[in-house]
Amino acid sequence: MRIEFTLNGRRRRVDVEPNQLLLNLLRDELGLTGAKYGCGIGVCGACTVLLDGEPVLSCLILAVEVDGKTVETIEGLGEGGRLDPLQEAFIETGAIQCGFCTPGFIMAAKALLEENPEPTEREIREYLKGNLCRCTGYVNIVKAVKLAAERAKYLT
Amino acid sequence: MSMSGKSFRVLGERTARKDGLARVRGLERYASDYYLRNMLHARVLKSPYPHARVRSIDVSEAEGLGATVITFRDIPRVRFCPRLVSTPEATYKDWLVLTDRPLYVGEPIAAVAAESEEEAQRALESIRVEYEVLEPILDPLDSMRPGGPQLHETILLGDEEVRVEGNLACRLEVAEGDVEKGFGEADVVLEREYRTSRRYHSQLEVKSALVNPEPDGGVSIWCTTQTIHNTRLLIHEIFGIPTSRIRVYRLPLGGSFGSSIHTNLVVPIAVALALKAGRPVKLAYTREEDMHDHSSYQMIFRLKLGAKRDGRLTAGELDMVMDIGAHQVQAYPLLGCVVGWWVSLYKLPSKRYRGRAIYTNKVPSCAMRGYGNPQTTWMVESMVDELAEAVGMDPLEFRLKNYVGKGDIFWGQGPTVKSVIESCGVEEILRRGAELIGWDKRPKPGEQRGRYRRGIGLGRGFHTSSAGAAVPGTVVDYSGAILKVNEDGTIDYITAMVDQGGGSLEAHAKIIAEELGVPLEVVNIVAADTQTTLYDVCTHASRGVYAGGGAALRAAREVKGKLLELAARVLDAYPHALEIRPDEELGQGIIYARGVEGKEITIGDLTTMARHKNWGTIASAVSFRPGSCPPHFTAFFAEVEVDTSTGRVRPVRVVAGADIGTVINPDLAEGQIHGGFAMGWGLAVLEDTPYDPETGDLLCRGYITDYKVPTAADMPDVEDFKVFFVETHEPTGPFGAKGLGEAAKNPAAAAVANAISNALGVRFYELPITPDRILKALREKG
Amino acid sequence: MEINRVNTRIIPFRFEYHSPSSLGEALTILSRYGSEARILAGGTDLLVDMKQRLVEPRHLVDIKRIPELRLLREDVGGFIIGSAVKLRELERSEAIKGRLPLLHEAVSSMGSVQVRNMATLGGNLCRASPSADAAVALLALEAEVLIAGPTGAKRVPLEGFFLGPRATLLRPDEILTGVYVPYPPEGAGSAFIKLGRTSLDLAIVNIAAALKLRGGIVEHCRIAMGAVAPKPLRLRNIESLLSGRELTPEALEEALGMVEASIKPITDIRATAEYRREVSKVLLRDALKTATERCGGRRS
Repeated sequence: MRIEFTLNGRRRRVDVEPNQLLLNLLRDELGLTGAKYGCGIGVCGACTVLLDGEPVLSCLILAVEVDGKTVETIEGLGEGGRLDPLQEAFIETGAIQCGFCTPGFIMAAKALLEENPEPTEREIREYLKGNLCRCTGYVNIVKAVKLAAERAKYLT
Repeated sequence: MSMSGKSFRVLGERTARKDGLARVRGLERYASDYYLRNMLHARVLKSPYPHARVRSIDVSEAEGLGATVITFRDIPRVRFCPRLVSTPEATYKDWLVLTDRPLYVGEPIAAVAAESEEEAQRALESIRVEYEVLEPILDPLDSMRPGGPQLHETILLGDEEVRVEGNLACRLEVAEGDVEKGFGEADVVLEREYRTSRRYHSQLEVKSALVNPEPDGGVSIWCTTQTIHNTRLLIHEIFGIPTSRIRVYRLPLGGSFGSSIHTNLVVPIAVALALKAGRPVKLAYTREEDMHDHSSYQMIFRLKLGAKRDGRLTAGELDMVMDIGAHQVQAYPLLGCVVGWWVSLYKLPSKRYRGRAIYTNKVPSCAMRGYGNPQTTWMVESMVDELAEAVGMDPLEFRLKNYVGKGDIFWGQGPTVKSVIESCGVEEILRRGAELIGWDKRPKPGEQRGRYRRGIGLGRGFHTSSAGAAVPGTVVDYSGAILKVNEDGTIDYITAMVDQGGGSLEAHAKIIAEELGVPLEVVNIVAADTQTTLYDVCTHASRGVYAGGGAALRAAREVKGKLLELAARVLDAYPHALEIRPDEELGQGIIYARGVEGKEITIGDLTTMARHKNWGTIASAVSFRPGSCPPHFTAFFAEVEVDTSTGRVRPVRVVAGADIGTVINPDLAEGQIHGGFAMGWGLAVLEDTPYDPETGDLLCRGYITDYKVPTAADMPDVEDFKVFFVETHEPTGPFGAKGLGEAAKNPAAAAVANAISNALGVRFYELPITPDRILKALREKG
Repeated sequence: MEINRVNTRIIPFRFEYHSPSSLGEALTILSRYGSEARILAGGTDLLVDMKQRLVEPRHLVDIKRIPELRLLREDVGGFIIGSAVKLRELERSEAIKGRLPLLHEAVSSMGSVQVRNMATLGGNLCRASPSADAAVALLALEAEVLIAGPTGAKRVPLEGFFLGPRATLLRPDEILTGVYVPYPPEGAGSAFIKLGRTSLDLAIVNIAAALKLRGGIVEHCRIAMGAVAPKPLRLRNIESLLSGRELTPEALEEALGMVEASIKPITDIRATAEYRREVSKVLLRDALKTATERCGGRRS
């Protein structure tokens, strides 16, 4: 089936089989390996991308379902060398260890800050509970989101 | 400037990790992110039975579909041990790449490779296998009883065939001093049984391998591993490919925690498929396969400790049975380490130990961050609390009275490797931690009424930094580092050591920059592989900074000597009077003569001159064996709240202190402790992989829907998690540094368990302390 | 040999994908393919089932592009929520939060934000999981399901919709088009409580209670629980015990005493039956307490 969608700001037309998952389309066909396979059943959040601006799990979405929609992946953030405040904050606060969960966290956190620019710590934790991390105990990740939120506030 | 007052330029500074940029942009490539043109996708046929014999296997339909198929018949029947850290006489071998006698649900029997994962899946499903189903044994204590099913008739110890009796994989007994006399002198003797669970690493990245068959008969491998060199050695051992033609790339790991301490089975399976197909093959496990691939060790302890009224320990006896699952990854060395973990916590004038590793028809066990130390520490710290209570002493004072510290004999790596502790911040950790948590205000156990009860618990622990020693021993532990100075003053650092995520290589870069006097930015961590690096044993045993950093430091010293030697020639000065300072503006180091104006040259200019004058490359290659494995120490103070109506436990506050010698990466070091606590929390209250007695499979069947790990919402607020470092100087470590990764976790579960007991006045002897178990215990207490 | 058929990285079999733009079109497709077809809404359950090989439909009928199934609107005395409305939309709806706080509370507790951005209310009901959070809340709200089929539309009380785990009244050629949720009586208070192993979990036990008091007397009482029986359960015997009475400690004790006989929990990997029995009582006590506190329009 031919689908057309906007991927990181660019129109893309691709042929897909109905059983192809969005995650595998991104990774295997389009070379965007930032979204990860972590569990395949929608529990770990490593495959999080934004679909029409909302964080979703690309391991449980058929490629055909995104026809006509907008998809943003981690690769679309900080293109051209201008990092998103979240990306900067993740580096600065030591929020990255192995880094495997990082793209999913940043995409989810981006959606959070778009929707709620001044989240409380509990709101951050509640919003990010669908992204599992086994390295950081989440402390520095939460710090990073707070820092990015503060900076964005300062900027506006 | 470090916290201990020593003056450093780079060490201890908060710096952005070099791999951070790629990681926040989603451009870091892990094993499963590698693709090759023309590659095939592989799937593995797994045993659906916990114990069976393959009567027949028919792969004709799969081959008819165009797939490349291998079974146990296609792979050299070499029995091996997937972990090559121990020397041959301490290595038990009982694995095959593919088997006709599966010993756990999920054990690989055959594998296929096809043009797409979907086609591979179809081919896999077309394979017909006839099994003779055998009786499984799931409980280690049942497994030891005579007359039951036997998993292995014989196994290899080194190259010698040994018979297995009663599913006893291996055993170790150690005794020192007169234990009977010791217990006789005691005023209080406690004896308890403790049981831990069988956890799953739940590392975010599943096991994966991509193998390219090379024209010379060799293979190139991109895989999940903590050790590229041991992976190469094992592939050589199984397939007989010359080592020089096996190229294993060092890649970032998406977490591992011990689950790739050994070569994951996906690697030899993919190698066999690639060799047969003559094309690149990618084999990436699914999560459910990954959960059928590795787990932690479940331990059942019987512990007896004696103490005098004044709180001094007199004797200890420990009997440990551990369930290792169907195969040995490192059971034998673990038997030694468990006694090491046990006796190196508190001074025991006399002690006796028996450890037995037992086979069961379950997923094979391997190290999981702490290598048995978290389990052992939970046991000891639980009983120490009880003993302190029994003799009427503050548990913290009891610990201070008995802990193994500076000047004491340390045998953390087991009975054959002993050393003297040269740096120790335990007392300060405990005193400061107690102050920060409000230890003196903690409730008396069991005094609270009401539904929600709070408690404060302490867990104290340590881990060895590397497995180094003054003598060779039975554990291989050395690292390599290559340094090259480039013509623009940048430095290439080449190492085989894998970073599990904690930032070991980042620490190495800082050590090199510190020693050479160059800006951190100029130290480049080179992408590397087995062909271009010196041997490094493995990133395990909290040896990344200590051992790997030790090699990097020595390589930097050598390069520094050469730089000064050549600069002396150019500047007409004496090498020993020259120094190097970083010039941030020029972005490189400048070699200068102290106090003499104009006598200076940048490293770039010097290196360029060396090129023009044909003096050769300024470089060094160092292989370094640490002569010790000093303990790094931690303590956790945890406050929890228990809902006595539902049994739910919530973390309220955490204070953690650590002595890791010199702190090199403060953010990342704190991060280790944060993550260690989360994993310890899971061990204490959450994690286990129970089996279904009907099917012999995991009850959760490999789906993480039912293997819960803590989420961000389950952990305390940033403000409520305090981490501090007590800096000491470890004379054997690079710039005084020690390890951290494992002590960052080891006592966390103990602190949580002790906090729960403090809140409820009930002790728990089995992990995890689930809501179910809490309600049951409260009912029984009445 | 199920272990070799499962593959959560891909959907390991082929099917035809249909994306009808009207309900009529969807019904025609369903009539044509019968049990070979499955309705795809959020996909958070169905695609997992397909990866785990629990179902292998030959046709998927994606209903997310049917406008009328995505409507959320006020109707006489309540709300009509289209079956393809996402949980996240419900969670964000100020109208739902204000008029159906019980549903808001239940929906907000479900899964992660990613899951709620995908999963639909209709999907949660059609899955007929014994622990379905939304179902428990909707039972206590006495919701009705709207079903369209080849012979027309019908309205059925939600309680009768569930037949058992993964089993509903819905025939293969029918579509759940929406849910009608009546407003609870003016001044009623409600509470939804869920126990899980972590903050991201299916319920070990969950409960929804709606309560209205007049002069201290229970005038309206609805209680439903999940994960304690093969399907989400209305606790009618306890409702009628409390109705018309004052919520005295004695009445409460009597009600708690009836819990065990009303439920049939099982032991599974999440908890033992014994645990579920015990905390069911705790949850009932807590839910009634909170609902009482929220009576009279107050809601914390």
